[in-house]
Amino acid sequence: MTDELSPVDIIAESAGPKAAAAVQPATNGEGEVFSPRLAGSQDIIITENVDKWFGDFQALDDVSLRIKEHEIVVILGPSGSGKSTYIRCLNRLEEHDAGRIVIDGIELNEDVRAMAAIRSEVGMVFQQFNLFPHISVLSNITLGPQKVRHMPKLEAEALAMQLLERVGIPEQADKFPAQLSGGQQQRVAIARALAMQPKIMLFDEPTSALDPEMIKEVLDVMQELAESGMTMIVVTHEMGFAREVADRLVFFDEGALVEQGTPEHFFTNPREERTKLFLSQIL
Amino acid sequence: MSELPPIPRPEQRPLPPAGGPRKIVLPPHRQRAGRPFRVKAREWISRNLFPSLGGTILTLISAGFLGIMVVGILWFVFFDANWNVITANRWLLFAGSFPREEAWRLWTSIAVVMFLIGLAYGTWSSLGRRDTLFIVLTGAFVIFLMAHGGATIWSSIWFLVAIGLLYLGYYLTVWMPRETSPRRVWHQRIVGGLLALSLPLVLVILMVAGGANTRQFDGFVLNLILAPVGIVGGLVVAIPLALGRASNMRTIKWTCTAYIEVVRGAPLLGWLFVALFILDDVIGGDLIIRTMVVLAVFTGAYMAEYIRGGLQALPRGQYEAAQAVGLNQLQAMQLIVLPQALRISIPPIVGQAIAIWKDTTLVTIILTLRELKGNADSAIAQSEFIPDRIEAYVFVAVVFWVVAFMMSRISQRVERAQGIGER
Repeated sequence: MTDELSPVDIIAESAGPKAAAAVQPATNGEGEVFSPRLAGSQDIIITENVDKWFGDFQALDDVSLRIKEHEIVVILGPSGSGKSTYIRCLNRLEEHDAGRIVIDGIELNEDVRAMAAIRSEVGMVFQQFNLFPHISVLSNITLGPQKVRHMPKLEAEALAMQLLERVGIPEQADKFPAQLSGGQQQRVAIARALAMQPKIMLFDEPTSALDPEMIKEVLDVMQELAESGMTMIVVTHEMGFAREVADRLVFFDEGALVEQGTPEHFFTNPREERTKLFLSQIL
Repeated sequence: MSELPPIPRPEQRPLPPAGGPRKIVLPPHRQRAGRPFRVKAREWISRNLFPSLGGTILTLISAGFLGIMVVGILWFVFFDANWNVITANRWLLFAGSFPREEAWRLWTSIAVVMFLIGLAYGTWSSLGRRDTLFIVLTGAFVIFLMAHGGATIWSSIWFLVAIGLLYLGYYLTVWMPRETSPRRVWHQRIVGGLLALSLPLVLVILMVAGGANTRQFDGFVLNLILAPVGIVGGLVVAIPLALGRASNMRTIKWTCTAYIEVVRGAPLLGWLFVALFILDDVIGGDLIIRTMVVLAVFTGAYMAEYIRGGLQALPRGQYEAAQAVGLNQLQAMQLIVLPQALRISIPPIVGQAIAIWKDTTLVTIILTLRELKGNADSAIAQSEFIPDRIEAYVFVAVVFWVVAFMMSRISQRVERAQGIGER
């Protein structure tokens, strides 16, 4: 990394003001919908005909999806519909069995170096936070930059403090994860993922393990991140977030991508029966 | 979705007046029931010891039983027993055939180790009142034995000096910064390094420049050398074994599994026979080194299984988070997985350590190495001490118990010190 800028600056600079209202969905050649603000962006994630099997169970069935740089995609679907499996395939926590996944020009395959390159470009936030309980909050964040990017310790700590400021809990730096509330832990997890200076952030049900009063603080951080221009793929049941922040909603059922469109489209006029059923159950 | 009516907000509570001491009144459900902090002794006794007729009878029976035992033990220790068997043979029990004119090497080793233990206590924990009581009692026991046997005053003084060094090491750590800081980490690394080096250092002190040879390690000294080698060597063997057994690569996995199952399948005695007869051709001459290898190999197989348990107890999310952060497999193991897995397996590992400490007595039976229990056997084989076998074995039992108890206490300390980041 020869960048003089810290990732925080980079993210802040690339921040384009989110188009206030994405009223008319634009459509690309393949029938995918995206906001006008993304008109100039390149595809950063390309998945083509991806299949994934767990034994006899087909978790992903022929999923094709292209996601543009700076786009915010929210994935919806009932439990067991393959939405988590899909984003776990994107940083190869799961290996797909068929089809292609290309992330920022790098194809995911058996190549270990490709995998390492992907992992440092794609940050991930888990439902259960998965902070490392035996080291301090600060060390949780500096670990990746120090060990993977070989950043000097002081620089890594400065970066970590900057990120903790950004997620609003700089005063918790020296505590251990178990001493923090769930919402604070999840914000640390977001800071930890951001410390690797990723281009893409994956969120796997980031608020599902939280007490209701803590959900908002995490969503606020995510919204701020979205406004700063990060490419985000979010699996969530938070419909408010989906409606406010997402450029595109994607609905999965039984491993297949059933329907996609703008939030407008989803909340006013869903096309598929399964989508209607699902939305009627959770709204 | 229709508009919901706004939720009525509770009225803002007035802030307490600024300044002045505030009296905190807990809400009724948080107030303690009217239980005084001190219960009168009489009340406590009647409530806990004589709550009912049945309770009273049980109390009386237990008290009588306990009383008889305590009186019996005290009577035996102070009047009945003839401790001459210990005091007359104290060198035999302690160091056996270790050359007496080289005794200073032993004293120096003990002093060095005590000093390091003091440092370790100050670095990771603290010497509480109970530890001090334990040290004082042990010291009194040893000095009583020495004085009883008419030992020169020097050995008692050496012993006191060793205890003094323990406390010196402890109080030296007051210069260590208390808060987490890079300097503190360096202090800890230095002390940890010294501890790791202590065993080779002790061997150097004992052997170098005209010291004893390994066949002269004898008596209690031999137990004290064999057990740490078995425990530390066992851990060194166990960690790669456990990782290998958890590995995805078949050959590695099967090799490690086979090692563990074969070694655990035969008793330690059997493996000591291997050391005696077979290893001679493989690693040659020195019987003590062969024994050390067997102890490490044997302990390692057990500890590997405990560590594997720790590895399996870790939530899968930890591996995934390590991967997602970009760590490679080696880094993930070293930085994330092993520290947590080892912490989980501290209790069974210490159990195994205590077991191997007691199992060092087995070397007497077949290897003709003479450790504490073996030398106690030879002590009571002398004609004048033949009636005193109980005294000899009680002494040996107490010594083994004291060390085992210390190990268990230290493991509790380690667990607590490692438990800061407990989930």
